[in-house]
Amino acid sequence: MNCFMFPGQPLSHGTEWPDDPDFKAIADMTRRRAFFDLETFSWVGAVGTDNVKLQLFGTAMSLYRFRVLRRERPLPDFVAEHSMGIYPALAACGSLPEEAALEMTFRVGTCLARMGERCSYALGCVVGLPREPLLAIAENHGVYMANYNTSRHFLLSGERSAMEAAMAEALATGAFSARTFPCDTPLHTPLIGEIDGELRGIFNHYRYGEPRTRLMDHINQDYLGAADVAPFLREELQRPVFWEKSYRALRAAGVTSFVEVGMGDSLKKYNRWIDGELRS
Amino acid sequence: MAEELIDKVKQLIIDALRIEGMTPADIETDAPLFGEGLGLDSIDALQLVVAMEKEYGVVVPDAATGTKVFRSVRSMADYIAEHRK
Repeated sequence: MNCFMFPGQPLSHGTEWPDDPDFKAIADMTRRRAFFDLETFSWVGAVGTDNVKLQLFGTAMSLYRFRVLRRERPLPDFVAEHSMGIYPALAACGSLPEEAALEMTFRVGTCLARMGERCSYALGCVVGLPREPLLAIAENHGVYMANYNTSRHFLLSGERSAMEAAMAEALATGAFSARTFPCDTPLHTPLIGEIDGELRGIFNHYRYGEPRTRLMDHINQDYLGAADVAPFLREELQRPVFWEKSYRALRAAGVTSFVEVGMGDSLKKYNRWIDGELRS
Repeated sequence: MAEELIDKVKQLIIDALRIEGMTPADIETDAPLFGEGLGLDSIDALQLVVAMEKEYGVVVPDAATGTKVFRSVRSMADYIAEHRK
């Protein structure tokens, strides 16, 4: 069995764009529903942060790649998602139209960005440390574990100066790599509860269809039904992403082939690491 | 530096990172492994650390050493030649 995996927000964007009708259609939708021009990477009649631009780029390119893949092969047996990859994943499952996935990305990103006007936040990417010492470092500095990607790849989220101190401690403790990335909001932490009311309003605005493909959530590794989607969308922004658990659950369910549907290949690389541990 | 070790390091990179459709001849010995070269990232680097330890018993103890070791295939081979058990 196979699985299409939808990654979260990319850290950078490309400059070369596909020249085909599918990309043009997605780019047109992005302009109309999210006020963003992919090719010039600029807003059209709206103002937003660089992070929202990258979030839209990520959703748009996942939608585009999914269209291309659908021409080559049938629907996958499973769909998995990481962080904001849930929005194109919902479209891929037929639970949400493509245009709505783009609009939702814009609305959620803009809502999240408003938190960044009041405080400076950052993500901290740590490679090489195991979970326990990193949990202690996070607690020491008042930041949160945001992604459990593998046994040695984690993302932390929180206030920026605290994150910089946490990354310095992670390096001093033996991390192979510890880098800080500015972000608009403390994604995947309880701090997002501050804007829960606004997020509920956004997610309740949409009508979700029953997923036509099994869609695994990255928190509990359950399969989402239509009624689960809106509550999950709120919860996932306030809880960590458990990618390793998701990948292992998909393996246990019989998935042998994984295709990353979006920009980059970070999920593929996490899977490679987890596979190595499964073999040893 | 023995060319044989250079080729083995290239094969180690291909195997550890599961790079499909690439042979050792496709990897330049002195090209940067990160960024514009092979385009590796920190996830790949940790995979290479593990592979080097498993294959040659060579440990990359910290990030600063890793930065030097993973500059190129040649720097990896130099480090292995110097530290292998």
